[in-house]
Amino acid sequence: MAFLDVKQVRKTFPGVVALDDIHLAVDLGTVHVLAGENGAGKSTLIRILTGVMPPDSGSILVEGRNALADRGAFDAIAYVPQELNLFRHMSVAENLFMPFGRSGFPGMALSRAALDRAAQPYLDRFAIRARPGQAAGSIAVSDQQLLQIARAATNKDFKVLILDEPTSSLTHAETDRLFAQLRQLRETGHAIIFVSHKMEEMFALGDRVTVLRNGRSVGHSSMAGIDERGLIRMMSGDEVALDQTFRPDVAPSGAPILEVTALSGAGFTDVSFSLQKGEILGFAGLVGAGRTELMQTLFGTRKASGGSVSFEGKPWRLGRPDLSVANGMLYLSEERKQDGILPMLSVRENIGISLVDRTSRAGLISRRAETRIVDKVIRDYDIRTSSREKKIRFLSGGNQQKAIIGRAMERRPRLLIFDEPTKGIDIRTKVEIYKIIRRLAEDGIGVILVSSEMAELRRCATRIVTLYHGRLTGSFDTDRTDADTLVAAIIGAGELSHAV
Amino acid sequence: MPSDVVLSDRSPSIPQRLKRLAAVQTLGVLAALVIIFAISAVLSPEFLTSFNMIIIVRTLAFIGLVTIGQAMLLILGELDLSVGAIGGLSAVAGGILMVQIGLDPWLSLALCLLLGTLCGFLNGLLVTKLRLHSLVLTIGMAGVYGGVNLVATKGVAITAIPTDIGFLGRGLILGLPVPFLVMLAMLAIAALVMFRTPFGRYVYAIGNNAAAARMLGIRVDAVRIAVFAAAGFLSATAGILMVARLGTAQPSIGEEWVLPPIAAAVIGGVATTGGVGSPVGAILGAAIIGIIENIIVLYGVSPYWQSIVSGGIVVVAISFDSVSRRYFRREE
Repeated sequence: MAFLDVKQVRKTFPGVVALDDIHLAVDLGTVHVLAGENGAGKSTLIRILTGVMPPDSGSILVEGRNALADRGAFDAIAYVPQELNLFRHMSVAENLFMPFGRSGFPGMALSRAALDRAAQPYLDRFAIRARPGQAAGSIAVSDQQLLQIARAATNKDFKVLILDEPTSSLTHAETDRLFAQLRQLRETGHAIIFVSHKMEEMFALGDRVTVLRNGRSVGHSSMAGIDERGLIRMMSGDEVALDQTFRPDVAPSGAPILEVTALSGAGFTDVSFSLQKGEILGFAGLVGAGRTELMQTLFGTRKASGGSVSFEGKPWRLGRPDLSVANGMLYLSEERKQDGILPMLSVRENIGISLVDRTSRAGLISRRAETRIVDKVIRDYDIRTSSREKKIRFLSGGNQQKAIIGRAMERRPRLLIFDEPTKGIDIRTKVEIYKIIRRLAEDGIGVILVSSEMAELRRCATRIVTLYHGRLTGSFDTDRTDADTLVAAIIGAGELSHAV
Repeated sequence: MPSDVVLSDRSPSIPQRLKRLAAVQTLGVLAALVIIFAISAVLSPEFLTSFNMIIIVRTLAFIGLVTIGQAMLLILGELDLSVGAIGGLSAVAGGILMVQIGLDPWLSLALCLLLGTLCGFLNGLLVTKLRLHSLVLTIGMAGVYGGVNLVATKGVAITAIPTDIGFLGRGLILGLPVPFLVMLAMLAIAALVMFRTPFGRYVYAIGNNAAAARMLGIRVDAVRIAVFAAAGFLSATAGILMVARLGTAQPSIGEEWVLPPIAAAVIGGVATTGGVGSPVGAILGAAIIGIIENIIVLYGVSPYWQSIVSGGIVVVAISFDSVSRRYFRREE
């Protein structure tokens, strides 16, 4: 029997069946991929597997023990969430061993030296580049990630590690490092449940896969016995074109919508580019290349230190996001939770906040007008929610993103900046978002697309601008440029190149 | 459209309806208020007399005015601990203008309201422009406003307030005290603003997520300053009505207006973390506190024990809300 054996698990919330007939069997010494689109039920299942939330029915056996009756069995399962979850101002060692009683530091008085000594073997084992006494917030993101995994390993019962999209804020090199540690864990007889939306990661690391769709487990397979296309078909329930491109079908025309001249600010220097109607302008670069800083400066939430911008032929005033929005320039942040949603408000209020100009008469918002437009947005953008009055924080990431995009569209923007719009979003929803972006460009709206996924840029952008260490390293016509040239510009190899 | 999208309301079962009703927080607070009211009526025969009711609503009027402003600030994610000092300063300013300078009472009244609004505005300006934490800043400003009050009055009450404005504090319309009616009018305006206007939506948006609000093009700082100014205006209103009621401008006016409104707002469902609740709920919370303090006196609890009992009941009321919310709202 499998070490972790989940059978017929069912979980309902008022009005929604979140999980039904879930089966999952995880063996020690394997990496088990948990795949599924946003809203398929992965997060709910994780919460059940970690003992945070009991299922309505079904069984969970951990090493043959019925974990639902004998809750100590859940101690074998550790979870590292997508968002970093450390005490940033406390030391690495303190983070590692909290709560202290559990990890063998009983009593009232803690000796810092003893903690630090005990921490060192864990730092060595997971190759964490930090001293035990350093503040956890001061070490690199990838080391923080490893620290969270090491924290799970301090529990002596630890056997199963659940990782939720661990690479979303890591660079390629950092991802490789993480994977090396995960493989080592597998070799030492642990099981890893790996949640990711990135195909190449699933195939690089996974031994087996369980696919969830609409709250049910619809497929189990070994990774060797399935290909990318088959996996996507299982996740989405239908065929998704992998190689389809979404570049706008119109020629860029007319005067530029946006002209940026020698713009500088924190994180980038002397950047110039222009954007024409009907064009999707892609921005490529490594994490930390200054793309987000550049876009937020254009939008106005960061200060510029020099340079000038003109929008639709008129000089553009920087530093005023309210004016940007009023004049039709919108920025959709990559940090949905942090910069996008209003968590305690309903889906209606989250969308309605951008509609108040249109829904209010004599200074008062008409609930009826608001409901009408909000329902239209929910339908048009296929936002899956049991009700428009549901708090948006209970929606899946993909549905939150669709609500944010739908809300922005209703403002009828003239320039839209998408910053990593598909981060953490499943393949089918990605395609929906690409279609929306293409439609925008074809309607004559200027689109800037910042993305770390080369495939995404090549499929959507008509032109790709590359940044390296805050400087522009090239501007390429997507049609006439191969991937190697782009990668060279992204990693800063070679001279400033203009392929066009 | 996938089958799991339900936009039209299906007819829910009766337990579902009850749960949904209980989830509407304001109704929960209202229910608590009704229960406490009923218990009080049973505990003391004096409670339901019109004389006692007028005492309760009159007390509620002053605390309530301050509560409305504090609740809006809390929803915004801010807090103003100088509301009491602003009320006191506006009150003695009224006394000085009317008695010592001899200005027209109505003009003086308008100037007092303006002064309170400016104090709130200044708080908002300092919080936004210097990026200070409102809790710490307003502790300091409470000291400043309170100090100006003492310097101006030397701690002595200003008596012989013109009787022209006495009606505002002591008058009855349809059997209800005028300050209470003023409070209700302010509450109606605040509720309308918070529920139905774009500005109100912006307040909730900022309280939920100020960074997101900025990305949406909301002028976050301007909204913050405006709400601080509104809270200052409401405190000044309470202060000047108190002067009208007492017939003297006491320097101590407002000293009791700092903590009860915060407790009232929290009992009424306003989250101290911002973004949740309403001024209506906060006033219901203030009414709960007012009734509790009243019945304790009527029931003959020893004065030494009164604050222990009323404080304890407030803690119970808050935990009742928190526990019921955990039961009814788990996962939604």
